[in-house]
Amino acid sequence: MFRRAMLAAPLVLAGLATAASAQESFVKWNDDGSAELLVNDGLWLKTAPGELGDLFGPGEKPFEGVEISITVNTGGPKGGISGPLHTFRPIWEELSGGKLNIVELPFAEHFTKMMTDLRTGTGQFDAFMVGAFWYGDIAAGNFAFPINELMESGEYPQWSLDSMPPSLRQLYTWGDDVLGTLGDADGQALYYRRDILEDAEWQAQYKAETGKDMVLPPRTWQDVLSISQFFDGKNWDDGDDEPDSGMVLHLKVGEQGHFHFQSLSASFVINPGDEVTQFDNVYWFDPTDMTPLINKPGHVAALEFLQELSKTGPAAQVGWSLGETWDYFLRGKSIFVFSWGDVGSLVQDTSRSKIKGKLGVSIVPSSERYWDLETEKWVEGAGDRRVGNTVGGSWHGVISAFSNNPEATYSFLSLMAIKPVSKWNANNGWTGVDPGYSYQFLEPQGEATLAEYEAAGWDPGDVQQYLQAYFDNFNAPTMLTYLRIPGTFEYWDILDKNLSAAMSDQKTAQEALDDTAAAWEQVTDRLDRANQLKLYQAAIEYDG
Amino acid sequence: MTRKQAKFFFLAPAIIWVFVFTIFPLGYSAVLSVFSLENSVDVTRTKVPLLDDAGEPVLTRSGKPRTRTVIERTVNSDWTFVGGKNFVRITKDMQAAEAAKVTVIFAVVAVTIQIVLGMALALLFNRKLPARGVMRSVMIMPIFATPIAVGYLFFTIFFENGGPLSFTGIPWLSNPSWALFSVILVDVWQWTPFAFLVFLAALQGIDSEQIEAARLDTESSWKIFTNIVLPALQPVIVIVLLLRFAEAIKVFDIPFALTGGGPGVATQSYTFLAFRTGLRFFDVGYASAMSYTLLIAAMIIVTVFFSRIRKSYS
Repeated sequence: MFRRAMLAAPLVLAGLATAASAQESFVKWNDDGSAELLVNDGLWLKTAPGELGDLFGPGEKPFEGVEISITVNTGGPKGGISGPLHTFRPIWEELSGGKLNIVELPFAEHFTKMMTDLRTGTGQFDAFMVGAFWYGDIAAGNFAFPINELMESGEYPQWSLDSMPPSLRQLYTWGDDVLGTLGDADGQALYYRRDILEDAEWQAQYKAETGKDMVLPPRTWQDVLSISQFFDGKNWDDGDDEPDSGMVLHLKVGEQGHFHFQSLSASFVINPGDEVTQFDNVYWFDPTDMTPLINKPGHVAALEFLQELSKTGPAAQVGWSLGETWDYFLRGKSIFVFSWGDVGSLVQDTSRSKIKGKLGVSIVPSSERYWDLETEKWVEGAGDRRVGNTVGGSWHGVISAFSNNPEATYSFLSLMAIKPVSKWNANNGWTGVDPGYSYQFLEPQGEATLAEYEAAGWDPGDVQQYLQAYFDNFNAPTMLTYLRIPGTFEYWDILDKNLSAAMSDQKTAQEALDDTAAAWEQVTDRLDRANQLKLYQAAIEYDG
Repeated sequence: MTRKQAKFFFLAPAIIWVFVFTIFPLGYSAVLSVFSLENSVDVTRTKVPLLDDAGEPVLTRSGKPRTRTVIERTVNSDWTFVGGKNFVRITKDMQAAEAAKVTVIFAVVAVTIQIVLGMALALLFNRKLPARGVMRSVMIMPIFATPIAVGYLFFTIFFENGGPLSFTGIPWLSNPSWALFSVILVDVWQWTPFAFLVFLAALQGIDSEQIEAARLDTESSWKIFTNIVLPALQPVIVIVLLLRFAEAIKVFDIPFALTGGGPGVATQSYTFLAFRTGLRFFDVGYASAMSYTLLIAAMIIVTVFFSRIRKSYS
């Protein structure tokens, strides 16, 4: 028995050795100092020489034994935002010698868990994949670790804020401090069924019924409403025998429906101007005293318009989250949806979408009129003055001020921010990382090529419109200002509930926004009006 | 060990449990409700050279000495006494009023349906029925389901485009009134079996000779039910009513998972609002005051209820 065991031992050892040598490697180093990173679909991403910084290198394990934890919205290994963390975890662990714990938290719980950790100084988590609307609480509370020095040190993977348009760059910084590493770029665009709207027969019918030509892409919200009303209830899609809709929205309370209102109302509300003044380029509060602007006639008219627009969609959408809404559009059931960049990439997934190659995209339209805050009168026939937006989270990594391993954490987050990774994220829609950076846009506006997107499975017609729309959006001359003050989450929660009440006919638009304004006043007073005013002015770059 | 010490030894775990998990949270939240609490943290970061095991500086690949950041943190808690301000604030808070209204409607309707339906089912199952044992076991299964999971389950059932109940055309979750009804329906589905189970046990405890004797006087089952069965069940009904009411006014899981409190605030219960206030917006003083208000209201209702019951017995 012993003899047999002794004979078998070398075989067992040889087997183990073979298994060890066959263990998958996620990084290949080239002689020129470049590296290749294995992402989970078998693709090797090539980095430029030196792009991974001074710490990572062949045989180097600069963070051996270090364990870091990063929170992210629940999504799993193939989920939006969480997916890239799972993909680059083994790569980083091989490069660094460290260990990464990915802590997935439901969206509704993420902010609470993060702020509890920060407010108590527990330091349980090293970083958070945050929504930009949390900055008011994180940055103003001094809860984030500024990364300027780490970026400049040359030791870590190299990325730059220069690839971001100013509208997005602002979301990643706080004053002179850079707090976020490059990640998602959120903004809403108008998606439509190009195949239907460009169809000559439908266009003729539209003209016969409404007496006007169908403008493509729609330039004004009023055009969108007219087209939605025309198509709503008609069976214009041949997928089933059921009538189809004009517009589909996600309006479930607590599920980010208020972003629809923000992106739609911006052009009803924002007075254009070269700089931020008391009346120009403001949306949330009067920058002289924090009086809410939310119940001004421009906002109220926009909400009334949204109520009208929602009638061209399924009644059930009052209780719908993003998933149901996107699926409705992907199944070919509505002409329009205005939503985030995820839609463009999900359309390309034929297991879920039946409209690949039929997609039209443009920057969200503008209103034909807006409310002049100074003269307190409507400005009619305002022309094409489309307002860009960065609504949403633009989800990205921020290091906790209490992390015991900020360097190791940054080495991971910066790895995810380098150009090849960021391009790969944008090319692959399931990552939830939407395009917004120069190297994600097509030439000549950016550095990407159509071939790269086609190789990732995109329809060329779809992707050209998609990227152009997002380029126009993030570089629009007038932008919807982003609310980044303490209590943003609470201000938006109040707005969200009242909008939901208005969209389900519990309140009129005026009542809903009056109630919002009254509740906002209470929040502002509770959080210290003077301090809120100071931070609001800084956030929107108002200098009196 | 003396007898006295032994007694203390055996009681100690229970006493510690009650103090740590009941008395302390109650006391702490009572204090919080009259304070405004703001936490802030001071952080000091110091860069220090990174040394290896031999105490030598660790270098980057290009030969630069590496550093690491050492963090020192101090948590500052700023307690400001606000007296009864948080309680006064509740009276002026529109959201609290709406949430209280939703909670009362929910509790009264749901508990009433559960008692009536539970009683009806208990009376039915108190007869000889084929496969009674199996049916009884199936009946009580919802009690063991986790409310949050039940909420998500019914979200798919009530889904208006393609869900199993979509053929009804009822706007289960998108209409404010129907949404509240849906929340009630789910609670009724889950907790009627509890009422049923308790009532059935009580029914089976009634002396059958008493019923048979009554039958000699009247053939009316209704009279027998109202004059014999119902009085005999009264203490049990009171217990079920109180237990269910105490649970119902704390409802949180089902609206949280099913409707998120919407549309608007149509299904936002009082506890849900307190949770959001305290744990989402960190207005913990106010959230504690809200919780205490609910506790006080529940205690008043129970006290009044019991005093009436006592009077009826005396």
